[in-house]
Amino acid sequence: MPKVKNWQLGREMDYPFEESRPRRQFAMLFDTNKCIACQTCTVACKGTWTQGPGQEAMFWNNVESKPYGFYPLGWDVKILEKLGVVDQSGPVYAGKTLFEAAPEGKRVLGYLPEELDYAHPNIGEDDSAGVLAERALMSLPHMQWMFYLARICNHCTYPACLGSCPRNSIYKRPEDGIVLLDQSRCRGYQECVEGCPYKKVYFNPITRVSEKCIGCYPAVENGRQTQCTVACIGKIRLMGFINPPGKADADNPIDHIVHVAKLALPLYPQFGLEPNTYYIPPIHVPPAYLRQMFGPGVEAAAEAYRKVAEDKRTLGALMLFGASEEILHRFDVKGDVAFGYNEKGAEVARAPLTESMYVREYYDESRLAFRLNIT
Amino acid sequence: MIPRDRATPGETGEAAAESIQLDGEDKKHLSRREFIRWAGAFGLTLPILEAEALAEGLNGTYSFLVPVAVDNPLAHYPNRGWEKVYRDLYRTDRSFVFLCAPNDTHNCLLRAHVKNDVVTRIEPTYGYKSATDLYGNEASGRWDPRCCQKGLVLARRFYGDRRIKHPMVRKGWKAWADAGFPRDPATGAPPAEHFKRGEDTWVRVSWDEAYGYIARSLVDVGKTYSGAEGARRLAKQGYDPAMVEKVGGHGTQVMKLRGGMALLGATRIFGLYRFANMLALLDTRLQGIASDKAKGAVGWDSYSWHTDLPPGHPMVHGQQTVDFDLFSVEHAREILVWGMNWITTKMPDSHWLTEARMKGAKVKVITCEYSATASKGDEVLIIRPGTDPALALGFAHVILRDRLFDADFVANHTDLPLLVRMDTQELLSARDAFAGHKHAPLQNFVKVLGDDEKAPLPVARQGVQYITRKQREEWGDFVVFDAKSGKAAPVNRDEVGTHFASRQLQPALEGEFEIQLADGKRVKARPVFDLLKQYIVENFDPATVADITWAPAEAIEKIARDIAANREKTIFAMGMGPNQFFNNDLKDRAVFLVAALTRNVGFPGGTVGSYAGNYRTDLLNGMGQYVAEDPFNVELDPAKPAKVKKFDTKESAHYFNYGDRPLRQAKKLFTPAGHMPTPTKLMWLSNSNSIIANAKWHYDVVFNTLPKIECIAVADWWWTASCEYADIVFACDSWSELKMPDLTASCTNPFVQVFPRTPTRRTFETRGDAEILAGVAEKLASITGDKRFADYWRFILDNQVEVYLQRIINASSTLTGYKIEDLEAKAKQGIPALVNTRTYPRVGGWEQVIESKPFYNKTGRLEFYRGEPEFRESGENLPVYREPVDSTFYEPNVIVAKPHPAVKPLQPEAFGQARNDLSTEARQVRHVVRPWSEVRNTSHPLVAKGAGFKFIYHTPKYRHGAHSTPVDTDFMAALFGPFGDMYRRDKRMPHTGEGYVDINPADARELGIGDGDYIWVEADPEDRPFREWKGRPGQYKVGRLLARARYYPGTPRGVLRTWHNMYGSTIGSVKGAATRKDGLARNPDTGYQSMYRFGSHQSATRAWLKPTLMTDSLVHKGAMTQMIEAGFAADIHCPTGAPREAFVRIIKAEEGGYGGKGPWRPVKLGFRPANESPAMHRYVSGQFTRVVRSKG
Repeated sequence: MPKVKNWQLGREMDYPFEESRPRRQFAMLFDTNKCIACQTCTVACKGTWTQGPGQEAMFWNNVESKPYGFYPLGWDVKILEKLGVVDQSGPVYAGKTLFEAAPEGKRVLGYLPEELDYAHPNIGEDDSAGVLAERALMSLPHMQWMFYLARICNHCTYPACLGSCPRNSIYKRPEDGIVLLDQSRCRGYQECVEGCPYKKVYFNPITRVSEKCIGCYPAVENGRQTQCTVACIGKIRLMGFINPPGKADADNPIDHIVHVAKLALPLYPQFGLEPNTYYIPPIHVPPAYLRQMFGPGVEAAAEAYRKVAEDKRTLGALMLFGASEEILHRFDVKGDVAFGYNEKGAEVARAPLTESMYVREYYDESRLAFRLNIT
Repeated sequence: MIPRDRATPGETGEAAAESIQLDGEDKKHLSRREFIRWAGAFGLTLPILEAEALAEGLNGTYSFLVPVAVDNPLAHYPNRGWEKVYRDLYRTDRSFVFLCAPNDTHNCLLRAHVKNDVVTRIEPTYGYKSATDLYGNEASGRWDPRCCQKGLVLARRFYGDRRIKHPMVRKGWKAWADAGFPRDPATGAPPAEHFKRGEDTWVRVSWDEAYGYIARSLVDVGKTYSGAEGARRLAKQGYDPAMVEKVGGHGTQVMKLRGGMALLGATRIFGLYRFANMLALLDTRLQGIASDKAKGAVGWDSYSWHTDLPPGHPMVHGQQTVDFDLFSVEHAREILVWGMNWITTKMPDSHWLTEARMKGAKVKVITCEYSATASKGDEVLIIRPGTDPALALGFAHVILRDRLFDADFVANHTDLPLLVRMDTQELLSARDAFAGHKHAPLQNFVKVLGDDEKAPLPVARQGVQYITRKQREEWGDFVVFDAKSGKAAPVNRDEVGTHFASRQLQPALEGEFEIQLADGKRVKARPVFDLLKQYIVENFDPATVADITWAPAEAIEKIARDIAANREKTIFAMGMGPNQFFNNDLKDRAVFLVAALTRNVGFPGGTVGSYAGNYRTDLLNGMGQYVAEDPFNVELDPAKPAKVKKFDTKESAHYFNYGDRPLRQAKKLFTPAGHMPTPTKLMWLSNSNSIIANAKWHYDVVFNTLPKIECIAVADWWWTASCEYADIVFACDSWSELKMPDLTASCTNPFVQVFPRTPTRRTFETRGDAEILAGVAEKLASITGDKRFADYWRFILDNQVEVYLQRIINASSTLTGYKIEDLEAKAKQGIPALVNTRTYPRVGGWEQVIESKPFYNKTGRLEFYRGEPEFRESGENLPVYREPVDSTFYEPNVIVAKPHPAVKPLQPEAFGQARNDLSTEARQVRHVVRPWSEVRNTSHPLVAKGAGFKFIYHTPKYRHGAHSTPVDTDFMAALFGPFGDMYRRDKRMPHTGEGYVDINPADARELGIGDGDYIWVEADPEDRPFREWKGRPGQYKVGRLLARARYYPGTPRGVLRTWHNMYGSTIGSVKGAATRKDGLARNPDTGYQSMYRFGSHQSATRAWLKPTLMTDSLVHKGAMTQMIEAGFAADIHCPTGAPREAFVRIIKAEEGGYGGKGPWRPVKLGFRPANESPAMHRYVSGQFTRVVRSKG
């Protein structure tokens, strides 16, 4: 197997294909501290893409309450169990990736969920771990906890679905890095369903081919963020493009948050897929769990987040989440206002760090009206 | 179940064979026909022509089907023509904007995308950042996007199978109407055989027929109950004599109309109240009386009916509710989210909270479970449900004990320095205290009206408060004890804020003073502060409060200190949780006390708000132009304002909910004249599923009260359980089909929003709500020959509703200056406008505190003492703590106090009630006082009966529904909680999702109840699910709740939770579950879909009436006016019920496994709380990662 460079692991690793990075890489940021599990993203996605036959229980985008929420049931527990306990002591990942741990005859270590694992798309909603002690004032991290994890396809740099497809029907678009499953070539072998550790490829039992998140390429091609992002009322998401750390562009809000401020981390980097969705970890969750999920940078990221008010530039980047439908290629903070710019450099987002307060005149003489607060 | 067998390369079978063929290296080309067949089979759900075009488009060679070598799919993929499929799916023909406004306080302009004339998907508009006011102030990009999953899912609801597609009349009622409404000659009651509501079938009628039916019923009911004969009939039917008297001979007064949360549609929903006003015309004709003697119908309340009104607010500051636009948290440093599940019920405004926290504000969550909002807290305090007033008094204890209060604020803005006479327990009046005292002429933000004077209209011209000379005389001036001079000193209502400070008095807060009155009598007097301090210090030390509330004493100390340390910067966001308990007014009074002591009322970052319901109709305070237009003097010139005259009356629907009775216990009638309801004989509801279907004590309403009602009309666009029990159902336009614009605003955000008319066709035979009202009025005109009925709705009949909307705008202080045409044009682009209140964000009390203006009450101050007789009788002249009335492990509703000279309530014996009568009815008026040391050893009366009663059961609202909108939509239901399943693999499920009860795993285990099992939930068998259920097994079966149990570690032991949002079981849904092949709990006749097999979350609740919410004396601001009034006012001062109160037992009914066999699958597999597999254990504790820290 070829050796490829995975910067999230700090080392090279095995992958079925030679490294080939797209010209631009689709990426998404999620601030889990802001996610409210409203499922607006889920419905926005479903309403746009998966209302057809065989797609009833298919959610390309889902939000699950961690640690008891899963879609499909137990997806991360199962693959973590298969991979076994891994060593994350240092910045260089010392354990095996799913490619390196692949069993004989397989390109990736995976498993195929049972059909019933998809039965309850919001199982575990708000169920919490830990002890609810009577007579306690919880502080950070909470003694009892849960948090919301919004998930889409990670449009990985080294997709396991792509690597496991026997027909090579899954590919990565050079122009934006979106991973697509060719609906015309797929034969429904479900090797990709088995291979993707995130279980973000779904088999359609009516059409008998597999389907997955398409990164809303028809929107992205027009400079618009994805449906799940545009509809995100928690303003937890920012969709854009990411560069590898060596080529980070500090004016790109995603590069800034991931590479400069180091606030956001990939989901289960130890799997070795170099996923391209990044999570600002929840600051109220015990660190051991977070480290298992987001890797070694998680404590530093949570700490940075708790102090982000002191870092106006980063705060500004965070305030641009949800401020525009368009993809932001560049951002800036001037005074107390954050600005976002599209590919052409036009200002498409403007967000004050503090929303203004206006005091109107008590009496509007020209309109003969008293403007009271208690009406 | 759909088979998902797997095809693998080389396997036999059709799919595999085909794949091998296509996979081969023979470069086989498909014919075009083959391609299309193949595309269809593989889910490319394209219309044939599109597929053909796609095939043609690829040079006719179909080369993309040829198996090609893909060297590295990371780098290059040759066949990308297929990508067109999703571009086509994404592309739509056009889009339009509509306003989604369920009762959730947000109101979002949404963009609907249309393909082939069908709305296929919905998106936010991103127009909020462009909102401006009349002065050039702008909202920002922080406001977008605004929408939620409930709005986006509407695309599946506009065409859903429970749309009401045309007007319908219930068969039995129709037969009665067609027979000319025959009645029992003795009582006037209609024959019972026509009233099999819920069992009957429905008849489709034309709009003209539907209008005719209700119009004739209005005339018939009015005629039947008018005059002395009407009163005799009502008496014969057994109504309380006080209620019959209240009718006053006006047959129109037994008609109850209700626009559900009327703010949600200025002309459509408020229209019901306009209609009620119009019915005065009918009264003059039925009784042959002059217009000045006539009365219209009765309008029911909304905000108080939903138990959204925080009833203690008017008791403190005289206003319905003081609150703040939620984005005020931008200015706070401490944010107390108290009993408010902000994260699930204020979803589009949740980011303001999480962003304030990101920017360094500390979020403290006070809750009774580990909730969604708790997960966003820097600190989380979990307390026993319903003990919120005690917790607040605990905070006050620390603040008073350690003297952390703001003495200036207390002196300048509260009644705490005012003296209370210990002999009468009333505020000492300056007239009594000082010989020759003359009341000061008031002039601070107030005008005292002479006897013939009226407040100016429209309300936009009202720049001050208005009180009558009589009120001014009655209220008098007040007295403080000036420590500097050592003498009592008078204080008048003007003297608040800087106006009081400038007098340079040093009002004593503590001590008892002997005052020589003007008449020579010497009385003892103590400041309110001193009385309160005694009560709080003696009863609510942190250790005691910890015992009462479960909050640790250290937390009480810490939070109190944090609040006190953040003056002007602590925001109290109070929610409907504590508000739905019987002690809700006491909670408001106690919380305001904490806020006032710490200088946290009226500041942008430091104030109190209460959030439930979208009630702030006062934002459209020119509404009188529409709802109260004089029907005898209609203004038909569109350029002129209407002439206003009110003929309708208001009452609280809580009496209807209470069996259509007033509160009468033993020898005492507790409902005074000002609050007295009339008998309910006809109901007309619009836009509201709450008054029947989602009513507390729902099954008592359905089985005991509705049979006494002769006509029930419901206007809606979705078939709810309210429709199930109606007689006439009007089919309304959905928001996407409105043909006339309408207007709304919100109590939580700064926007005034227009429902733009939409370009979509009407999918069904529906009409707009206002059109329906106008249509019925036209019918009344033709029946009576009086064209004024029709003229009253002229501008709706002429499709010029803008005339009414503009009149409302012109008269509203918040909107004057806007043009409806401009507002609608912007709305069509997805852009709302800002409300022109004094500040952005709107902060209630800002002028009072920042500009030293009086509050809307007697003293002009935040009042913590209520000396009125009703409050003293209830032992609530001070903000005391009472145990919940049902949701408690202890003696219910007991007043927790050691002997106190000012807490001397009326004892049960005084009106003939036994002291030990703890029945639900008696408890409402039982004012027994006991210290906590005694109360803690008591128990709820049901505990003594054994039988397993031991759970507090509460029913909050959740993220997946705005009330019941749109929870029964298939994939919303599937996402609503853990049991949702789009394929309903377990046919016991009522729908693709279902209601469930959250239980602490340890409690469940003790009862042998597994996670996912079905359980029965039972409250007090004396009156629930409904009174006299014994001997009515058919109805009992419908009303007894069966639901899934979910292990929920976040709820404390002894506390059960179930969500309020579900559609409950009806006679028809129970029939469906038993008889339908698919097992759906769906009425086979009407399609009504329940989210339970049996019962509903309201099976365990009941109606409660609290005496302090029924006074004739409480002074408060009137609705949509700056006038100050007293006594009953719908949605301001009236009963609110206590729908979160229930004490229950649970009984295991069925196993959770599919079909009732064994445990629920996720439990078996070890993925559920308290049933974790070893791997799951390891996962939850993060042990799949090993971190070896290097030494040194």
